[in-house]
Amino acid sequence: MDALIQAFGLVFDPVVLGVIAVSAVFGMFVGAMPGLTATMATALLVPVTFFMPPVPALGAIVTATAMAIFAGDIPAAMLRMPGTPASAAYADESYEMTKKGQLNLNMGVNLVFSVAGGLIGVAVLILAAPALAEVAINFSSFEYFWLACLGLTCAVFLTNADAVKGFLSLFFGLLLATVGIDPSAGFPRFTFGEVELMQGINFIATMIGMFAVSELLRGAISVRDAGHVVVQQVGDMFRGLGAIWRRYWANFLRGSAIGTVIGALPGAGADIAAWISYAVSKRFSKEPEKFGTGHVEGIVDSTSANNSALASAWIPALVFGIPGDSITAIVIGVLYMKNMNPGPTVFTENPQLIYSVFLIFILANLIMLPLGWAAIKSARQMLRTPRNLLLPCILLFCIVGSFAMTNSLYGVALMLVMGLFGWFLEEHGIPVAPLILGLVLGEMLEQTFVQSMIKADGHYLEFFARPIAGMLGAATLLIWAIMLGRGVLRSARR
Amino acid sequence: MSAPHSPRFARRTLLAAGGGLLAMPALAQSRYPNRPVQMVVPWGAGGGTDATARIVASMLEKRLGQPFNVVNRTGGSGVVGHSAIATAPADGYTIGMITVEITMMHWQGLTQLNPESYTPLALMNSDPPGVQVASNSPYADVKALAEAIKARPAGTFKASGTGQGGIWHLALVGWLQAMGLKGDHVRWVPSNGAAPAMQELAAGGVDIVTCSVPEARAMIDAGRAKALAIMAPERNPQFPNVPTLNESLGINYSVGAWRGIAGPKGLPAEVTGVLVPALKAVYDDQEFKSFMTQRGFGMVYADPQGFVRFMAEGDRAMGEAMRGAGLARG
Amino acid sequence: MRLNDALLGAILLGFAGWVWWMTTFFPAFPGQDYGPNLFPRILAGAIGVCGLLLILRGLRSRAPLVMLDGWTREPARLVSFLLIPGAALFYILVSDFLGFIPTAFLILLVLALWFRARLLVALPVAAGVTLTVHWFFSGLMRVPLPRGLMDPLL
Repeated sequence: MDALIQAFGLVFDPVVLGVIAVSAVFGMFVGAMPGLTATMATALLVPVTFFMPPVPALGAIVTATAMAIFAGDIPAAMLRMPGTPASAAYADESYEMTKKGQLNLNMGVNLVFSVAGGLIGVAVLILAAPALAEVAINFSSFEYFWLACLGLTCAVFLTNADAVKGFLSLFFGLLLATVGIDPSAGFPRFTFGEVELMQGINFIATMIGMFAVSELLRGAISVRDAGHVVVQQVGDMFRGLGAIWRRYWANFLRGSAIGTVIGALPGAGADIAAWISYAVSKRFSKEPEKFGTGHVEGIVDSTSANNSALASAWIPALVFGIPGDSITAIVIGVLYMKNMNPGPTVFTENPQLIYSVFLIFILANLIMLPLGWAAIKSARQMLRTPRNLLLPCILLFCIVGSFAMTNSLYGVALMLVMGLFGWFLEEHGIPVAPLILGLVLGEMLEQTFVQSMIKADGHYLEFFARPIAGMLGAATLLIWAIMLGRGVLRSARR
Repeated sequence: MSAPHSPRFARRTLLAAGGGLLAMPALAQSRYPNRPVQMVVPWGAGGGTDATARIVASMLEKRLGQPFNVVNRTGGSGVVGHSAIATAPADGYTIGMITVEITMMHWQGLTQLNPESYTPLALMNSDPPGVQVASNSPYADVKALAEAIKARPAGTFKASGTGQGGIWHLALVGWLQAMGLKGDHVRWVPSNGAAPAMQELAAGGVDIVTCSVPEARAMIDAGRAKALAIMAPERNPQFPNVPTLNESLGINYSVGAWRGIAGPKGLPAEVTGVLVPALKAVYDDQEFKSFMTQRGFGMVYADPQGFVRFMAEGDRAMGEAMRGAGLARG
Repeated sequence: MRLNDALLGAILLGFAGWVWWMTTFFPAFPGQDYGPNLFPRILAGAIGVCGLLLILRGLRSRAPLVMLDGWTREPARLVSFLLIPGAALFYILVSDFLGFIPTAFLILLVLALWFRARLLVALPVAAGVTLTVHWFFSGLMRVPLPRGLMDPLL
């Protein structure tokens, strides 16, 4: 109890609160800028936190990342450009809602459910940290292989396009993921002797190209036409939320639960949480046909999930010093620098610091409500900007964002190529979302497969030998069987 | 963190502003460094190399009065960042942290770059590999483990720590060879770095992880793993209970993952004349020392000449070990 | 622009074959049965199957081989379209030499003017956005944006 009182004293200090406020604005901006990720915000905060005591240092990181993950939803809804990868899963859905004139409702849902999902994640972080991490830490390559398979299965759920084209897109994504140094033998594949290609296909630059540049290409065709953009009436973004809440509270709880569990798994963060919860939402929805047409249901699930994953990623980081995602990988470095070596002992040696982190998490999620509101209101001005000025500016943001991801022109070139490729794919009715997911999960899939085969000396049954792996594997195979069976039935009926 | 303006610098700025563009060349000619310097790191943000580079950069910044920006150029097992340093203009405004991989990658045929592609400035750190097993492993010390490895057929034991042909893989290969076994007597499970390998170890996926002790520290502190030995000439003061291989097995084998600061080949003398003493001062600074000890990183310093010798020796040894293990290509 | 499914399928089939051919140059690794060529080959095979399915479907549909949208025949719209990749290409080619500030300013100004913005609006917007982006990315986020010709001034 002493520690908790001490923690209150540490957090509610004018300097700490000032740092939190500044990092909140910083995080909002970074998240809302496509191409700047929450991970990048953290990495760039680290040199600043060198000069701070532990509580403001961690406070800056916690607040900035929480804001960034939410703010990524804003450009997704307004411009179909997810501000961070965590918003990519439902960027299309959000944008469709905006096109239907439901921007107000969409932003209200994103804001309120982000805050609520974040709070659930924090609650779990506080209550269940040790127990959840115990489960996740026992995962070996077998379990991760099945998790990757489950994630890819989601890609097939995610798309409304016809199956051949959906799979084609997925295979392209997986193939792109094989560019660069291979995980089994360290051999550079498909690099054509280019040093830059050895780092592989950068996921963010690809995403900027596929989602944003392809949209610019389509938009450019009609910019010169005189007609001005219809700006929607600025309204009350909280109107209608009560009904949504009553209708979809179960979705919110499910999304937050999925996000929390996935966030706590080492290596899987907010972005994968959003993809999976969106797919689950569609799978169990009463109206799956509405998904992809600007339906709010999937957004409730996934926007809750990515914010809850952010907090729960700290569970394995704090308890075992094992990062739950790329953000906490950096956080662990900061913890070491601040003499708070992560591990079970940190809870007994420095409980007041751990409680401070918890308090800051709660605080960050609460101030997200007014700050997010302000950010949305000001972001709206973007839509009022004449398109002939907005379009060149967005192109510049895309270029700079891609450049920043690789710190070289390789990112810009990749963005350009992927933009044209994405445009070409969509012209042919081939969805790009499965490609992005394949690119994200490709390396994990191949790496864990090779590791598992080496460990099993080539015996496939080993993939089911461990209890959790067996369960995950059986679930995956069952879903595949159901999908196949339904496909056969459907074609038989035709 | 703006650069502190010396009076001289401020006067120059005023002059430049007053005299317009014509005065600019005068400013450009002032003493190195007179604008921000990039420090390229071939590994990702959040890792040990990144953390070391960031503390060195922030301390250089304090000493030399210009921002030292850490730029992560990751991927390709380090090839991308290392070639970014080597191919940068040799004007002193791009330097970087080079790591042990520079003595290994060219043997694997991944790149043409080798230690001679750089102007070495200072060696800052070196970490020896350890031998880690899960805490519930039946082997109480490295002797018991070594005997079990010898007794069982090849391929029974599985080890991990890096990708195929990475530094910790070579540590294992060298250790096995020193015991008179073949390099692949223990099967190597390639991993994406030390942390995922330690996770595999804790989850029961592999039997041994040969990463450095600081990298294994979180799992050891969590009671999930234990360090049986380190492959170094002497014990690490941070982990005094972990014996060396020489003490317990009589095998005198040591390698290490080192990190140093270097620039592209042909850095001018006025640049090295500033950076070499500044790096020495950073190394001797109490702040740097306490940071490195905190994280359990081994402190090793070498001046440019010493660094050249150190790398040449390491390069030769690595080539030998990699050819012996069939890992060298081309 | 839209290719007939059969043509698209044929291109994909050729692509899959090319990927497979490339994997034949990947080395086998001693002591490891699952080498670097396993996954690319599975994927090349899968893309090839998708290509075959598309060929079958395309042959049945009898759509024209290539369908061009109306806008591709209007030069002004075609230029608007090509200006987007053109601007990115321009950045790739000259930013190292010119530096970020002149390159970004030129891109913004030329695009805005071509899209019929008034010069009096486009000029300050291009300058303001360029400087803001430069300040944020280069100053605050420490992204190494190219300095180019502006080097002595920054």
